Amino acid sequence: METQSVNQGMSELSKRLLSTLLVLGANSPEKALTIEEVATKLGMHRSTIEPELRALVEAGYARQDEIRGSFRVCLTGTGIITASSTYS
Amino acid sequence: MRIFMLSWEYPPRIIGGLARHVEGLSSALTELGHELHVITLDFPGAPLEEQTENLWIHRVAVNVPAPTFHTWVLLFNHFFEKRVGQLAKEFGRPDVVHFHDWLTVPSGVAVKHLLRAPSVMTFHSTEASRSSDSRSPESTMVEGLEWWGSYEAGKVIGVSEWMKAEVASRFKTPEGKVVSIPNGVDVSKFKKKVDVQATRTKWRVQDGEKLITAVGRLTSQKGFDDLLKAYPQIRRSFPACRLLVMGDGYMRAELEALAEAEKVRSATTFAGFVSDNDLVAAIKSSDVVAVPSRFEPFGIIALEAMAAGVPVVVSRVGGLAEIVENDVDGLEVEPNSPASLADATVKILSDQGLAKELVTKATEKVKSYNWESAARKTLAVYGDAISESRYE
Repeated sequence: METQSVNQGMSELSKRLLSTLLVLGANSPEKALTIEEVATKLGMHRSTIEPELRALVEAGYARQDEIRGSFRVCLTGTGIITASSTYS
Repeated sequence: MRIFMLSWEYPPRIIGGLARHVEGLSSALTELGHELHVITLDFPGAPLEEQTENLWIHRVAVNVPAPTFHTWVLLFNHFFEKRVGQLAKEFGRPDVVHFHDWLTVPSGVAVKHLLRAPSVMTFHSTEASRSSDSRSPESTMVEGLEWWGSYEAGKVIGVSEWMKAEVASRFKTPEGKVVSIPNGVDVSKFKKKVDVQATRTKWRVQDGEKLITAVGRLTSQKGFDDLLKAYPQIRRSFPACRLLVMGDGYMRAELEALAEAEKVRSATTFAGFVSDNDLVAAIKSSDVVAVPSRFEPFGIIALEAMAAGVPVVVSRVGGLAEIVENDVDGLEVEPNSPASLADATVKILSDQGLAKELVTKATEKVKSYNWESAARKTLAVYGDAISESRYE
């Protein structure tokens, strides 16, 4: 599995993560998902997706907040638009 | 007339030209006295319900997770149907339902049959041209939905003559069913005064530097890679210049890497998505706006630059070739040709007389592209769809 950072080129995994957050409805802090939940949906291990998610947060496509005692991620406006940008 | 307009994007959810189109058209239709309900998707920070006089924006939240993008699209269409059902109960049956692109075909067709509503579909693009005739299962589904929409809609609109011809030939749409109505542009938005100096400072444009601006989603379709390949050649003639790329998308990192490889990264600003005010200010502060698309059903950014009084260099493709008359109100170049793009850009930057002449003609031309005119033409199409509807 490619795990290139978004700063070097958006990997297929990063695109998949953005798309997954979009289709799971994680587009606001209220609907944010834990990293475990995202990993489960993708059938991957948490350690595989965590660095990619962190890079997406750093690049402004996603945000991570501590909600209900755990770190959860959701898309930002930029992330939603980017995840949708193939189809407009 | 009560109109239900279905669109997956509406400001501030601006993914492509579709959002601008629905915003401009809806606003013009309400100014002509019609009752407009836009049913669209939610977006962070935007209210679920908004109303300004006769214009209602109903933003729908999708509360069921989907496994893939394409199943998510089908799901949000069901949520649209539910909202339309509620609206029909609250406001009454629509006189017409107008849906845009494949993304809202399922709900558009459902509303047509369930509410016995005359229907109109607008094509802003087609999957075949967007995906270069990909035969992936997803593309096959999208193309199927496009055909279905063109078949079920009482009338079909293409946003350019090129789009009309593409729909007619690809989906074998009967003669007379599909018409072309070009997008409009809100000229007043581009006539407002902007602080050019502050804008240029914001985007790191030094005194005496030329500013080349490109706007759009960072996808292959937009051809920004060609612009970056052309940029070193432009800089040989104009070492003091800056390229401002406004927009975001999956290609962003790839384009940043290309700028590094072409040794122009420090002279390029990737601004990401920007506000409307920043966009207008940047365009108005530019010396040239480049639209190097490989495929463009309409190309609203060219029209916006023309409205702003900035010379344009565009690819000779699709709707762009209809908007711009080469050497009269802009310069056209061959698509996929960085050399030709560089030549045309240098020509404008080095000949102020030519730039002025192009802008004068463009300013005149752009007056014919207004939303009121597009709205009146759309109303005529609604009238035809209503009179020919088999449900009446």
